[in-house]
Amino acid sequence: MKQTSDTFLENASAALADSGKSQRRDLLALFSPLMRDAAMGSFGQFEELRDHVRQVRQHSLDHLDHYLAQFEQQAAENGNRVHFASDGDAMNSIVLDICQEHRAQRIAKGKSMVTEETGLNDYLQRAGLSVMETDLGEYIIQQAGETPSHIVGPALHKSAAEVRELFLSRHDLGERDLGEIADLVGEARLVLREHFLKAEVGIIGSNALVAENGYSMLVTNEGNGDLCANLPKVLIICTTLDRILPRLEDATAMLRLLVRSATGQPQTCYTSFYSGPRRELDTDGPLETHIVLLDNRRSEILASDYREMLQCIRCGACLNHCPIYAGVGGHAYGWVYPGPMGSILTPLLTSLEQSTDLPNACTSCGRCGEVCPAGIPLPDLLRDLRHEESERKLSPTRWRWGLKMHAWLARQPRLYHALTAVGIFGMHLLGRRRGRFASLPMAAGWTSQRDFPAPQGKTFMQQYSALQRQQQAAADAGKRGGRSTRRPDPRRPGTRRQDATRKAPAGTGKRAHPGGPRGKKPRRRTGDE
Amino acid sequence: MNNSARSEIFARLRHACQSAEAENIQRALPPTDSAPGAPLPSDDLATAFLTNVLKNQGTVECVANRSAAVKALADYVYRHFRSHRLVAGNDANLAAMPWREAGVLPRFGAIEPGEPVALSYALLGIAETGATALQTGKANPAVNNFLSEHHLVLVDSSRLVATMEQAWARIRQEMNKSGRPRGYNFIAGPSSTGDIEGQLVYGAHGPRNWHVILMGDIAATALEDARALAGK
Ligand code: SF4
Repeated sequence: MKQTSDTFLENASAALADSGKSQRRDLLALFSPLMRDAAMGSFGQFEELRDHVRQVRQHSLDHLDHYLAQFEQQAAENGNRVHFASDGDAMNSIVLDICQEHRAQRIAKGKSMVTEETGLNDYLQRAGLSVMETDLGEYIIQQAGETPSHIVGPALHKSAAEVRELFLSRHDLGERDLGEIADLVGEARLVLREHFLKAEVGIIGSNALVAENGYSMLVTNEGNGDLCANLPKVLIICTTLDRILPRLEDATAMLRLLVRSATGQPQTCYTSFYSGPRRELDTDGPLETHIVLLDNRRSEILASDYREMLQCIRCGACLNHCPIYAGVGGHAYGWVYPGPMGSILTPLLTSLEQSTDLPNACTSCGRCGEVCPAGIPLPDLLRDLRHEESERKLSPTRWRWGLKMHAWLARQPRLYHALTAVGIFGMHLLGRRRGRFASLPMAAGWTSQRDFPAPQGKTFMQQYSALQRQQQAAADAGKRGGRSTRRPDPRRPGTRRQDATRKAPAGTGKRAHPGGPRGKKPRRRTGDE
Repeated sequence: MNNSARSEIFARLRHACQSAEAENIQRALPPTDSAPGAPLPSDDLATAFLTNVLKNQGTVECVANRSAAVKALADYVYRHFRSHRLVAGNDANLAAMPWREAGVLPRFGAIEPGEPVALSYALLGIAETGATALQTGKANPAVNNFLSEHHLVLVDSSRLVATMEQAWARIRQEMNKSGRPRGYNFIAGPSSTGDIEGQLVYGAHGPRNWHVILMGDIAATALEDARALAGK
């Protein structure tokens, strides 16, 4: 897939100008979090489960060499052929070789972000094969010649009316209305059923690879992935190293988080575990199965400070909760993975140079980190990438100097408080009459879109100290009067996770981003700043 | 080429991993029972299972024994298709049912295009998820689960378990006895999609209807309670 992350700002402006699509994104940003919250609410023990799954994922990554070897051995015992691919091209050529070996012409494909990453469809089509996406969302964007805008719902950027137009022009099925979404789903079912029955090779992804016995977990609602896995004579599972989990129980524990985080369902319709080709007495199933394991820099990420990113279970919750994603949509990010997870994965899997804007497309609101079921400290990793951009002089000189000055000042608390007090008081005087500023020097980025409210006269620290003094006085008075007037201490956040839950990556010391300079970076939690 | 990719990948992994002894790795693995499961909607296993099946948009029936099961199946198929035809895998449990009593004779084998109804005999029913676990093979070709319009699943109440962890424990026992089957399908609802405008529509690529018949010694009020709990 052609990457356009380097024009993120232009992509974003173009997306914001399309009001119809913006409205649909707003609705999704409103409803998806509600569904997720309701599902987690009725589950009850989100934190406990998240902790458990994170421990298991970290353990699996710490010992990935061991578990990968175990999986490979078990999968081979089950009758699979296991292939290793260092990069996307290698995966594509392995898949093409298998198809050509069987003289296959028709491929039925289940949803797979990994093959989006490697551009498999284009690769196979260039070799003359017919590749049909069978997940409804993937099918829609394939027919429209577009790319996914969301990792779970790839076609959520399209309206039903657009899908209707698309189907009317692409399916030669005569006069029909297609006025309801159910009609559109019905038509896709009809058209794709043919394809399922004729396909010679099925290609699917995997949500988890189970090391202890070589099974591969497939999670869908439509059942399309299972048709791809069961009907064609040859099955190819395209996936990545980091999907490995030790036991069957680990896969289903993770699934509890995955479904609730992704769609707010308590359970997906179809959760399947496949071990290999059909057994001797079986009457159906593929005769030959392949598992292609892609690395594509994941082993380098494992050795870097960004190792935690490999815990991602691709649920899409961070997208659904991100105000930037809601604003600009998935396509603006310019590659396969959008939103917070994409703003980290894209620089790691491609290059920071090509995607400098992505880690900056963040308001540091922290919602992604709070909902991430894999317990990935997304805001921290985004900040670390920004830090790296600054170190490697990838960010604009003006920013870097501004930040350096700010950092210096912040380390002189007296001077800092004095200067901010003068500044705030000055702005208070200047803006007193109108209560806001329509323009401010060096802040056009803010004031071009909205007014800046005039400060009320005192800085936060001044107000905070005054409040403390007041409370102290009240407490002293209370003590004398024998009554306590305790209030909750505003410095103690209630539920924020503590630094102790973060584990330093295993291995030999900290290493920077793959392809970046080696060196130590300060790692602090966003909440400490 | 593939072999060199393999050794390069393993070299990089060993560099990034702890290269611990297998025993130590095993010991460091968190126990499976520290994973909380979803709370069950009822203390009664059958009621909890039925509630979640209903919540998953399945339809349900309870029957006391095999004669009643055959009759319920016959009624279901007749109600929808005015016929008594259905397909079922070569499952000894299904072959032994008193089909003649209800005037039905299934065709035993894998579903063919144009056959709308398939019947499966569940390996397990899982209360936590409201899912029926099916094992692929001669006794239940996987295509029967996915190509039918109406998928009927018979669950013996002795095969109900509360959680996924319990399900795996039972499955492991079977696996140790008779090896690893090609696959397991955990089915929890008719096929659905939310891919257009996020609106949930049933009958995507798989069955449009998923009907569960729970058979055995079940509390008389289980179904009624389940309907109340599921709001259906
Ligand atoms: S980073 Fe977390 S929230 Fe985002 S997709 Fe991955 S697992 Fe889900």
